[in-house]
Amino acid sequence: MTVSGHQFDFDARGVQEALRHELPEPIQEHFVVINARRWPPKQVLALITGLDRADFTTHQARRAMTRLGFPAGRAAGHKGARGRPAAAASGSDAPPDSPGEVLRPFVGQWVAVRGEEVLVAAPSPGEVVAWLTRHGQRAQAMFRVVDSDQLITGAAPQ
Amino acid sequence: VRFAFRELPAASGGVLTPRPVVDISLEGLALAPVECLLDTGALRTRMSAELAPLAGIELAGAMTEQFFVGGLKTVGALARVTLTVSNGSDEFSWDAPVWFCDPWPQPFGLAGLEGFLHHFTVTINAYDGYLDIEPAGTEM
Repeated sequence: MTVSGHQFDFDARGVQEALRHELPEPIQEHFVVINARRWPPKQVLALITGLDRADFTTHQARRAMTRLGFPAGRAAGHKGARGRPAAAASGSDAPPDSPGEVLRPFVGQWVAVRGEEVLVAAPSPGEVVAWLTRHGQRAQAMFRVVDSDQLITGAAPQ
Repeated sequence: VRFAFRELPAASGGVLTPRPVVDISLEGLALAPVECLLDTGALRTRMSAELAPLAGIELAGAMTEQFFVGGLKTVGALARVTLTVSNGSDEFSWDAPVWFCDPWPQPFGLAGLEGFLHHFTVTINAYDGYLDIEPAGTEM
């Protein structure tokens, strides 16, 4: 694949692995779905190529990712936006997931949410707060996603 | 201020029964309000001790108490903090005793009598899946 005059050789699995320990930046408009999370296309292409983001456009980055098989979409709220609004969006025209299903990819992690959108998911609340601070974002709520009633019931100690 | 019940994914597929929660901001951590389960049976308001340093809350030398939660023995450290609830337009802040607990197995805080319920008139509409909170003394 040629990006900004440079030749690169990467596949979908390599991209997924490269993002495994990264956190997605806030979505402005366009996104691609990798590892069940929404990513700004330019962030992904810059991470895997090492190129400066000024070296390519959002559309070039988006096209590069869709060629690798990753779904792409536009965030809800933008003119012409389609698809699911949440972080687990697939870019398809399927009906919106319930809020609970939207959280499924983040089981075990701390998340910051605003409405039905997952702003960020990370292993610790400190990482979530650091991300919010770094990107000037404000969440509606922060909590850890569990998938077991047993972790919720019987909570009252006294 | 109205809070919709929040649902979580279930391990077996589908979602867990949506629970009544309130999102409470700690002073110093306003950008990430902490989801707290409304717990009418709990005396204390409790949160994970992990959150205290993120909000700049000093727990060294604080009064502590041991207790069990979910079958796990844990220790809570008391701090008086300013808490805030907001829905974007209405906002209410109050001074409250909060117990910051370590370890804390719960995925959320617990909003109990002291620190939360004593400050509000709370109306739970479980049928429609939401709760309304009104600062005490302001009801019509």
